[in-house]
Amino acid sequence: MYYSLNEIESLCRKAARGAGMHWGLAEEAGKAARWLAVHGLPGPAVLADLLERHCEVAYGDLAPMALDGVWRARGENLCPLIAGATLTDRAETYRAGGVITLGPTCHPLLLAPQAGSVALGTGLAVTLEWDDVRFTVDASQGLALAGAGTALLAAMVAQVRIVVGVDVAGCRAPHARPQPVDAEVRRRLEALAHRTYAPASEASRLSGAGAKE
Amino acid sequence: MTPLYPQVPLRSPETVMRLSRMGAFHQSRLSFMRVLLRRMAAESWRVERSRWEVDGRGVGVAVYTAHTPTRSYSLVCFAHDLPPSMRSDRVIATAWDATFTLRHGIPDTETIKRLADNVPHQEAGRISDTELVLARANRSVRLFEHVVASLAAGRQPETDEVARVGYLMRTTAVYGAGKFGAADREVLGTHEALDGPFRAEMLAVYLIRLFSLDMVEHLARARAPDTATLLAPAIRRRFGIGNATGLGMAPFLINHPTLLNNWMMARETALARVRALPTAEPAERDRFHSLLRRAMVNAAEWSTGHPLQLVRVEALREDLAQLVAHLDGTGLAGSRPWDRLYRWAEDNLSVEGQEQLVSLLLEPYPHLVDGLADCMSADEPRTFRIDGAMTVDEARAHLEAIYDWALEIDFDDPSACQHVWYVSEEKLEPRLGPRFGEEALEPYEQPLAPGRDAARMHRDLVVSWPQDSVAGFLLDHPQHRHMVRRLQMAVRHPYAEIRDNTIGEDLLPIDILRCKLSFFGATRFDPRSDRWVQIVMYQGAPFPAELDADSAEDWIYPPEETACTTP
Repeated sequence: MYYSLNEIESLCRKAARGAGMHWGLAEEAGKAARWLAVHGLPGPAVLADLLERHCEVAYGDLAPMALDGVWRARGENLCPLIAGATLTDRAETYRAGGVITLGPTCHPLLLAPQAGSVALGTGLAVTLEWDDVRFTVDASQGLALAGAGTALLAAMVAQVRIVVGVDVAGCRAPHARPQPVDAEVRRRLEALAHRTYAPASEASRLSGAGAKE
Repeated sequence: MTPLYPQVPLRSPETVMRLSRMGAFHQSRLSFMRVLLRRMAAESWRVERSRWEVDGRGVGVAVYTAHTPTRSYSLVCFAHDLPPSMRSDRVIATAWDATFTLRHGIPDTETIKRLADNVPHQEAGRISDTELVLARANRSVRLFEHVVASLAAGRQPETDEVARVGYLMRTTAVYGAGKFGAADREVLGTHEALDGPFRAEMLAVYLIRLFSLDMVEHLARARAPDTATLLAPAIRRRFGIGNATGLGMAPFLINHPTLLNNWMMARETALARVRALPTAEPAERDRFHSLLRRAMVNAAEWSTGHPLQLVRVEALREDLAQLVAHLDGTGLAGSRPWDRLYRWAEDNLSVEGQEQLVSLLLEPYPHLVDGLADCMSADEPRTFRIDGAMTVDEARAHLEAIYDWALEIDFDDPSACQHVWYVSEEKLEPRLGPRFGEEALEPYEQPLAPGRDAARMHRDLVVSWPQDSVAGFLLDHPQHRHMVRRLQMAVRHPYAEIRDNTIGEDLLPIDILRCKLSFFGATRFDPRSDRWVQIVMYQGAPFPAELDADSAEDWIYPPEETACTTP
């Protein structure tokens, strides 16, 4: 079924919160899924995979330990949403360009929206590279993709190289249209989102608007 | 070249962004219903009833189409036969008297069939990105039947009843922007005629009003074809559309800080421009006096059963009488007359009266005010990114300046954090429940307490290294990411944040609802509890055939001669 971008973002934000993320990062997760959907990429599906993999893992094990040298997590691998948020928060640092290397990282496709955010913040095109994938976003959020295949949707990669300030041509503009979301993916995200809803009860029902007229 | 308007300083956010004041706002020239009608008149939109297939019981389909210079939009209406026991205005209702969708273009029979399978189910159905709005409405049972019975008997309805209720149907939800498959904001942005906040929703409601009036005349004719008559034009105008609004609307203003800022900024800028005028011309003074008298009629007709609002409406009536007396004494001669009047009001009128005056002051000055309506949208994605280069010390200083009120609250005191905003699994209804009640609601809390969250972040900021960047702070404190984003929006957008505790025991959610509804252009606020308000939209508004530059502006205050006795 097709879903509006608003629905995709809202469901993904709630699912991320349901998976245990703090609200601020959950907001980023919703935006990331929407961003990928706008580019015709399977944002909700990749996010569902990530959230299920990480929902029992502590933040401290998924975040970069130090930012000098290669970014690595204390645990097995970096969460792309946390690494991506850290990257975009530091966009100012890369105004004149820069290269960042991430160690083992889950679902690197979810770094792409934050690379877009860095491009927006710096006005420079940003390239992500892992395996044979080369993924470039320009400052107007156009996208150029090379080496797409199964590696694009890789669940785990040993290294991601991020280059800020690359020359770029042939970026394809985003296209804001409703996107298909697989029923199974939707069910998995709904299950996580459901954790943010309080159980129905008579007392709760009375606390809704219109209960006491 | 655009002239530079003189200004006095804008009212400060500390004054404006208080719930007690936001809960006293009135519609103004910048309200979205008024902006829409202004545009419809300026562009000579044509509206027609392009389909009417409704039976004698009032069941069937109707379509109303608005033709703008470039595109057409249709309201597709499904009229149902609803058993009275199922009539509920709550979000958790599952059936309604009528359901609607506003869509691009004119629907063919196949499209109507698709919509008929979905729109009557509302949240449980699906619409597509050619649809812009999904809505439903229930009848005002007593007045609806009174009007049908009167018309069937060849009589006009009682005008007192019409004035008291003000509508035949009330909408209980009007969903737009991407809900249930509808077109996203990005798509709406390509529809120039509907460019602006809630424009599509306002058009849908305007067309629903036409439907409700056609329906009573249709049912009267079906009941008594020989004797039935139509509504007299003057009475017809007195029907608006009601609306019942609950808690779902309150989170919206907190969740859209830059949009809230832009609405407030437009209104405050308009006020500052008028206050800065060196003199008031005779025609402008006459317009103000005339509308002041009509605002008194409006206040006299405003009925509410809510004790708090009752006191406020009584104060408003006294305020307006006092305002007339003050003007009789001092007039509007001398320099900066409007500024002097506003400052007098600050010292002498209730907040309800002050805010009514603000709206009235904007009325004589379309050239100073109306253009600001173009500044009321927000490019929210642009303000989403966090500036991680800000230092911890800068963040702390900004926080202390903007959230000083919150730092004075002891959030460990249960009364200061009494409420939890949450979403129930029951039809995802937004609710407000007790933090310390029997049910554990805190795990489900929505991020709708910026004051508390700012205070929590402050505790961590003051013990962090001042020269560290916000980026570094957030890597160690991911729980503050939401709040850092809000703080940075509030730094750039002074009216982004409500400067009151949104979870304290004194919270009245109706204050937040009223603020938003006033920007829609609603009138006759009638709270049914502290979290539920009924209002009227488009009461007195011209019908499509009557729309012109004058009528599009001159409808929201009732005419002087319709004054009925004060309840």
